[in-house]
Amino acid sequence: MYKFVIDIHSNLCIKCKGCEAICKNYNDVPEGVFRIKVITINEGKPGQLNVPMPCMHCNDPPCMKVCPMNAIYKRSDGIVLVNKDKCIGCGYCSYACPFGAPQFEGSGAFGTKGKMDKCTFCVQPYKQKDENGNIIEREPRPMCAIVCPTGTLLGGDAAKISQELRERISGYAARGMLENLFMV
Amino acid sequence: MATTLRLSRRDFMKVGLASVAIAAGLSKYGNYSVFNKVEASEVSKIKEGKVKLVKTVCTFCAVGCGILGKVKNGHLVGIEPWVDNPINAGKLCCKGASINHTITSPKRLRYPLIKRNGKWERISWDEALDIIARKMIEIRRKYGPDAVFFAGSAKVSNEVAYLMRKFMAFWGSNNIDHQARICHSTTVAGLGNTWGYGAMTNNFNDMRNAKCIIFFSNPAEAHPVSFYHIYEAKRRGAVLICCDPRFSRTAAVSDLYLQFRPGTDIALVWGICYEIIKNGWYDEEFIRNRTYGFERAKQIIMQYPPELVEDITGVPADKIRKAAYLLATNKPATLQYAMGGTQHEYGSQNIRAYAILQLLLGNAGKPGGGVNAFRGHDNVQGATDMCVLSHSLPSYYGLSEKAWRHWAKVWGVDYEWLKGRFTSKEMMEKPGFTMSRFACGVLAGSDAFPGCKDLTIDQPSNIKMIFMWGHSTPSLGDLRYVKKAFESVELLVFVDPFVESGAALADRPDGIILLPAATEWESSGSVTNSGRQVQWRNKVIEPLYESKDDLWILLSLVKALDKYDAGLYAKFTKNFGGKPPEEITPEEVLDKEISVGCRAIGLVGWKSWRLKRQQEYDYTFSKEDCQAKSGPCKGEYWGLPWPCWNERHPGTPILYRNDIPVWEGGHDFRVKWGTTAPDGESLVAANGHDQMPGWTTNIETDYSEWLDKNMVPSGRGRARFYAWNMKDPVPVHREPIYSPRLDLVDKYPTYEDSVYWQHGKYHYRVPILAKTLQIAWKRYNLCQCFPLIWTSGRQVEHQGGGAATRSNRILAELQPEMYVEINPEDAEARGIRDGDMVVVLSPRGLEYGASPAKVVCRARVTNAVPKGVVFMPFHWGGYFEGKSYLNRFPVIADMDTRPFVAGDSANIANSPGWDPETQMQNTKTGICEVVKLSEYKPPEGLEDYFKNVKRLRQRG
Repeated sequence: MYKFVIDIHSNLCIKCKGCEAICKNYNDVPEGVFRIKVITINEGKPGQLNVPMPCMHCNDPPCMKVCPMNAIYKRSDGIVLVNKDKCIGCGYCSYACPFGAPQFEGSGAFGTKGKMDKCTFCVQPYKQKDENGNIIEREPRPMCAIVCPTGTLLGGDAAKISQELRERISGYAARGMLENLFMV
Repeated sequence: MATTLRLSRRDFMKVGLASVAIAAGLSKYGNYSVFNKVEASEVSKIKEGKVKLVKTVCTFCAVGCGILGKVKNGHLVGIEPWVDNPINAGKLCCKGASINHTITSPKRLRYPLIKRNGKWERISWDEALDIIARKMIEIRRKYGPDAVFFAGSAKVSNEVAYLMRKFMAFWGSNNIDHQARICHSTTVAGLGNTWGYGAMTNNFNDMRNAKCIIFFSNPAEAHPVSFYHIYEAKRRGAVLICCDPRFSRTAAVSDLYLQFRPGTDIALVWGICYEIIKNGWYDEEFIRNRTYGFERAKQIIMQYPPELVEDITGVPADKIRKAAYLLATNKPATLQYAMGGTQHEYGSQNIRAYAILQLLLGNAGKPGGGVNAFRGHDNVQGATDMCVLSHSLPSYYGLSEKAWRHWAKVWGVDYEWLKGRFTSKEMMEKPGFTMSRFACGVLAGSDAFPGCKDLTIDQPSNIKMIFMWGHSTPSLGDLRYVKKAFESVELLVFVDPFVESGAALADRPDGIILLPAATEWESSGSVTNSGRQVQWRNKVIEPLYESKDDLWILLSLVKALDKYDAGLYAKFTKNFGGKPPEEITPEEVLDKEISVGCRAIGLVGWKSWRLKRQQEYDYTFSKEDCQAKSGPCKGEYWGLPWPCWNERHPGTPILYRNDIPVWEGGHDFRVKWGTTAPDGESLVAANGHDQMPGWTTNIETDYSEWLDKNMVPSGRGRARFYAWNMKDPVPVHREPIYSPRLDLVDKYPTYEDSVYWQHGKYHYRVPILAKTLQIAWKRYNLCQCFPLIWTSGRQVEHQGGGAATRSNRILAELQPEMYVEINPEDAEARGIRDGDMVVVLSPRGLEYGASPAKVVCRARVTNAVPKGVVFMPFHWGGYFEGKSYLNRFPVIADMDTRPFVAGDSANIANSPGWDPETQMQNTKTGICEVVKLSEYKPPEGLEDYFKNVKRLRQRG
């Protein structure tokens, strides 16, 4: 089961935007569409927190449930994808998603929304088909998590992420630093 | 549904593959992002296809991140993280992660251009080089060799940087300089005068050994990938302390944050040192055995109790005590700084204060300790080592006759011939103009700009021609002055992959030549990162369009000059067999000259084959200490950090570490100022020794005799608390020239003007004012007109002058705007709302009779800056004092060179102030007022200020 986990417990993200840039680069995402975006809360104040926000690839994706065209599907490995041939760009998924993951190219209230695009765990670039019209399916390799210098973004097999988080916590615990952890 | 099934089956196989990779012991790749573990198998798969992955180095900051360039049929199609690179392990910030869009940007300059009659015209390379060469010779005959100013670059390889310096030596002038002057020149002076070498003492990987890290700058935005190691330290229990006037992203993730007034670093550090001495937390044994002059430093430090420091800096005394306690109880502690410390008129002294703090705590020369100066450009450390600087020959030899004779020997030319190239022996040994003030060399005595008429310079003729070879204009201070200088010279030559904003800033109809240089990924060579580690940067693709590699351009220029100056090319390339420009390789330059001659920093072991072998066996190097644990490089440190004494030496990852043998990277404080101090105390460490006789000039020795005896060729000396040769032997707090605290100016005045008198009344060939300006400032009380403190800095998405990053479509989208950060209270008092267009008005220019400088940009109302301080990023060009000059960028046929995003340049508004050791410009503590653009009226009645300055000057 592939998952993203964002370790915000130890307040790690420094908003270097490596994730945003590599995502755009690796997936050829056009201007205005952000499959991942770093959000800052409490900017300039103690307690400032940066949170990178990709698609969370939910177990029970609300976007999939509301899609009138059944364009959104979940692979057995957990990755949620959209079939752009079916998508009509209605934006229901955008209402349903609690994370703001669905993206629409272009702007304006109606008419110019385009097909929905979102994080694909780097399986599919923005253009889903190659020059021969075949659907592109790459290795699920989330580039954002690979380049993240701080280790905030963890992407991969859920069991391994859980292992990594446990190691981090026990590292803190072993050094008597658990209180640090909750000082977000 | 069939689709889903098909996908899942394929995917099952992929997961299977991934687990095989992990089972095969590949789990060593990467630490955090779980997916690193699949990386290796994936990379090998790509290799099998038509896609080629080329190991190379990022071209932005000085962390030296490795990246794999993805090349398909000769085209750069993307990048892959280089997870085996020990420095960054595949981690990248936004600049590295989108670097292929910089290299293949449609905004690149495609062919040589010349500006004639107000129009850009395409010319051939031969024609361009011939015009330049003819002009150079004409200027040389008419005005002498010093009429050419050469701004070199920190973006080129070591080899090109070295040849740039050599070129100007052969040309016969010291008027050569580059970014390091306005970047870390004060580090070289400050750290060099403390313990011998002016460079980062440890390296990025070593920071993970620290138990406490104190920041004096903002690495989260300027060097994001360093956080890969800083967070490793944090996970192991390190405490992070951040000292910054602005609540930066670094401050947001630190455990303790000290917000001080810009320009009061020394007072703050002394407050911490006071507590350390008072409580007896200093390392007595270390001080006794390895340092000199502690008592004298103590006398000064004890004048700064935390309560007084609170008054000067604005940091609560309790926080200062807490910082001192944390530093003393969490050892080893490391200190990090960058431009925030260096770019001040007291830059060298700030750095000295940092170093003294580390000496007190005994943290110097230890893993997890040291003073870590984070440098800015990918090869600024290398270009500094190659001394593309007006006061030294490569490898910090200086300009003495001895230095010239050493290099004449390496170059295989006659010293007398070299001397004959210069106007005189005096000019040969006199430092040239610097990046901070070369514009004075152009404008002195002219009517072009206010205050130039009675300005004098210390050379026979003015500058008539300027090379800007990979140097940006927006990073230069007092831009209006620079603009006028660009408009006044006879010929301006820009060599850059992009159209540098200076080329369009100069509003002139002719006399500009633009040469398209290849980007760093289209040429090969060695680059030195901030931690003195050298990496070989491979050529990823062939140069695009008509652009040419810098090495070729430089050698071809010499060849073009050779037509008018017979024999020059043969002499210049003597060690390379006089081959034509396209046949000379960077490997030859490194192996035959750099590693032969650069002995003062120990580059003898830097051979190109070693660097390439390290790159091949990258996976044998540990990310923990950068040492190869197996394979052919076993024992070597990644990047052979200098000093690397000979071809068998592994490099010195931690300077001054004396608890390991020299053969394994041991080192000690340098014996640089003799063996006894003027007061008679010894400068040789307890159980130490003097330096090896002639170790810098004997080009035969490989030092093994000394290394076998565990002796350091540069000696085992003492670090100096007290540096008698500096303007302040022990740093003292001095108020910025334009201080907002007039009540403190008398107690902590700036330098007397006479402190700057280096040759006669000149400092690097120009006169400098300091005290005069401060007295006039105080008398005239300009604080009333300019009540806000101005400071500048980096945005994470852009770098330097921004020509490369603002032409990258991804980075331009991530950060499209120039702004000024202002505190909500200050904004409210001026009726400014977030997003309003504002004018930032500064007294720059008043000191020589010009009108006040202004910058027009958007206001960003934020709590990140405290009340009374504004912050501006400095990467922007394309607008000047609110007016666009984008129409002057070349737009012809298939080429539109205007950057994707443009903005006004912050450095129009920086305040005067220059470091007396290195002439560093001050871009961190200025003064300004912010008004809404709609309510802006040009200020009146400020001319009296200049009269005041003039009167004071006449009185002396």
